[in-house]
Parts: sequence; structure tokens; C-alpha cells
Amino acid sequence: MSFKVIKPGFLSTIQDYGRLCHGAYGMSQSGVMDEHAFSWANYLLENNFNNAVLEITFGGVELKALDDMLICVCGADLGFKINGQLAPIWRNIQIKKSDVLSWNLPIHGIRTYLAVKGGFETPVLYGSRSINLRENIGTKLAKNDVLSCQPSSGQLARFMVPQYLPNYDHDIALRLLPSYQYDIFSDSQKTLFFSQSYRVSQANDRTGCRLDGAPIAIKKDKMISEGMSYGSVEIATNGLPIILLKDAPTIGGYLKIGTVFSLDLAKLAQKQPNAKVKFELMDIHQAQKERLKFNQFFEIEPNS
Amino acid sequence: MHKIILAGENSILIYFGDKIDNSLPKNIANFANALKNQFSDVVIDLTPSYTSLLVSYDLSKASYFKFSADVQAMLEGFEFSDSNQQSNLIHIPVYYGFETGLDLERLLAEKNISLDEFIQLHSSNEYLVHAIGFSPVFAFLGEVDIRIQAPRLATPRIKIPAGSVGIADSQTAVYPSDSSGGWNIIGRTLLDLSLDKPENLEKFKTGDRVKFYSITRNEYLKFGGEL
Repeated sequence: MSFKVIKPGFLSTIQDYGRLCHGAYGMSQSGVMDEHAFSWANYLLENNFNNAVLEITFGGVELKALDDMLICVCGADLGFKINGQLAPIWRNIQIKKSDVLSWNLPIHGIRTYLAVKGGFETPVLYGSRSINLRENIGTKLAKNDVLSCQPSSGQLARFMVPQYLPNYDHDIALRLLPSYQYDIFSDSQKTLFFSQSYRVSQANDRTGCRLDGAPIAIKKDKMISEGMSYGSVEIATNGLPIILLKDAPTIGGYLKIGTVFSLDLAKLAQKQPNAKVKFELMDIHQAQKERLKFNQFFEIEPNS
Repeated sequence: MHKIILAGENSILIYFGDKIDNSLPKNIANFANALKNQFSDVVIDLTPSYTSLLVSYDLSKASYFKFSADVQAMLEGFEFSDSNQQSNLIHIPVYYGFETGLDLERLLAEKNISLDEFIQLHSSNEYLVHAIGFSPVFAFLGEVDIRIQAPRLATPRIKIPAGSVGIADSQTAVYPSDSSGGWNIIGRTLLDLSLDKPENLEKFKTGDRVKFYSITRNEYLKFGGEL
């Protein structure tokens, strides 16, 4: 017993680092959309990198604590309050039994993470606690659900240094690795792709982020379906990009112009529809170097 | 013939051919197993498809250039033989009726064949599992006899009942759970392929074979089939 759901919000799901080795079964990797905020939340609580958290999208959530617990909220500013008083995010906080935690509406960013010391202990489904609604793996939060975790107390306050706090309101450049069918696209197609500012469309969820902009003229070549990695960018038959995200199908048959670097996808996870995004090229060495540094800092072991 | 390309910051895609070919799923599955065995601490995940294998790996153990080179070396020395290979044959009972086969009546008219001929053409083939995807336990089976091939619907249906058997071009498949989709629905199986039975996750593997057989309306109803 640890939290009772008073209001479930628009879309709140338990997520962890994801279901990493089920591709052969056609199962998505799932997991948190913003790995940066998620990793900080577990880090500040001195949790394992993979401890499950509650991913709250847009807010509308109210939870009642059933125990004393050490928690940490990182990610979007959704007007987080404890007992009706604004409370800090990006730092761990001791809460008491009967405290009411609430998130009202998005102020900066759209996804926030509630982490608890030791992680949520919801059922492990196929090697992960991550919920995938598209695959009917688990369900989203509902009124009167109880989220179990252990009571906890006694840790010194740990917080993110203010100068490292992300600003979710900036326009972002998504760095793209020239992968998959990159070489098949012509120079003029690439110029159009890299020179324009796209806008995040309404069709933007945990499966994929569709972008609006000037379409690239493509031939309707039929491709043989192949495995799609996290962040790969399909150019759909209408000539517009779809960035494949955590709940995306494992295989697909559209042309892919490249793959967005994962830590830039964490920034994309905080974008509202209509936000501007651009693409720029990234080199594989640089991507591996940056990601490795991130993994080492947060002690992420994807093969554990 | 083999080609390795970049797929993501920690993944590569290996092509084993450029055309759909019945020998590929088994070869790819064998190579995937061997790769996982040889690089067990490096390989994270393997996603086979018709002609390719997506491999993700642990960045702390290998870089893109190191891992690609290791995989390339392994491909060059690999024996893609058919010996000591096992593949399962999975039998699937289907009620091919107009109540369950939402597109069956139209297809019979378009193809100008009888229901019996249609059933014969769909159930006499032994299909190969070329890929698994779209959703878990959704196995892409090929190839469907040219006489009953049909393109995807222009407008996909919002809801297709679990167990529905569909055709899209040269492929056939069973929808394991209720889902949206644009395949031509020709019947329904009683088999529960959903993840309500977690062991179904391993029901199909690429390289397995599948054979459908026709059951009557009475048999379908007797064993709990719904119309």
C-alpha cells in the first residue's frame, strides 16, 4: 500500500527503463518517454536506474499517500502541489501519510515523473513494469487504484543544481544519425528536410510523433518491412516525418531517413502540439560518446 | 550479399538478401541465435524480419565500428546450412463463414470462385512465418495463392475481433487480439492467441510453419466460438 488514486488524470502510467529484449516477439520496448527526467528522479533518490515511476502526462492527477515516503518529482512543471501548496520538483522530499499530491496543468513541458524511494512495485509484465496501452499490456491509472511501494524516510535532501535544469520552452534541434535509407534520399529531399522548421502535430503520443511541415515528394516504393529502432524517422507516403517512440511497432515498411539521438527524444517528450523542431545531422561517434557518458553517470546497464 | 547498416545509436541492421525468400527466415533465426550466443554480453535485443535482423547492443561493451566489424567477420564465416534446424508446424482451425469472414463474400465475388475453392486455396498451403510485428504474436505468413490475394482495405476497420484471419496481398495472418486493421477478413479461429495466455508470446517464431484447417460452423460454435 502506498498511494491511492483520487484522480487518475488524462494519461498516467507506470513506466521503467523498458522491455528491452522482446523485439523477436513483436513487443515494443515501452518505458519512459523522457529518460533524462526519469533518470534524475531515480538518481536523486539513490534508486536503481530501472526503478519504476509514474509517468504523468498533462496532469489532472491527485494521489493520497498511505504511508510516509521519500519521493522525487522530475520533469515537466505541472503545478505540483502537496496538500494544496506548491512543492518543489527536481529534489527529493519527505511526505507523510495522508498527504495529498496533485498535478494540475502543464506550465512548462507535458510529462512529469513521480519516483519513490525503492520504486513502485506494480506487477512485472514480460520483464518490465512498463505499461503499453497499444499492446494491452497493463492499464493506465484509474480512480481508486492503489500503487504499491515501500514506506521510506531518512535521506538527506538531494537536488538538481539549478544551472542544469532543462528549459522545456526552447525550440529544439533533433540530432539525426544518417541511418537506414538515408542514402536513398536525394540532395534536394534532404535539403528540404534539414532546412525547415517542422511543427509537432496533434497526432503525437507514446507510439510516435507526427510532424507537420512542407512534404517531401517521395516515390511510393514498397519496402520490405524491417526492424525499427527507437527514434527512427519514417517519411510516410504523405511526405511528412513520423518519429517512432517507445510504444512503436517493432517492424515497419516506410522509408526511414535517419534516427534521432535518444537524449534529444527526451526533450521532444516535453513538447506540446505546435512546438517547433528542426533536424540536424549527428555523427555516430558523438552520439555514442554522449550516450555512454549519460549511462555511466546514471549507472544505466541496459543489458542487466 | 550481406550488408550491415547503421540503425541507431546502439543498433545495426543486417540485410541477408533484398527479396522475400523462403530460405531467409530460418537462416536469419539461426544467425540471430549464434550471434546472441557468441556476443551474449554485448547483444541486447534481436528483431528479425523478412530479409533483415535488427540488433541492439550495449554501448559500454562495443562501439559501432567494433561491433559492425565483429558481426561482419561472423557473417563471412557463417554456415547457413539447413541441417539440424527445427521448426514448428502450428495448426490453426478456422471457421471460414460469412459471419466471421467479414470480407469473404466480397472476395468470392471479386475472384469469381466458390467458398469451397477459396477454403481449399487458403488451407492447403503450408505458410512460413516471415516476421512477427505490428503487435505481439502477430505473425506475417506467406505466401498466399495468387488466386486469393487481395490488397489492404482503403479504409482500415476500427475494430477487428481477436482470432480474425486476414489476407493482405501475398500475406495472411491471425489478429491475436481485438485491434484496428486493414486486412481482408476471411474467417476466425477459436485459438486464443492473446497475451491473456502469456505463453502465447512464444507461439510463433520466424521460420516456423503454419497450416490452417477448416472447421464447420457447428464445430466452431460447439467449442465456444462467437459470431
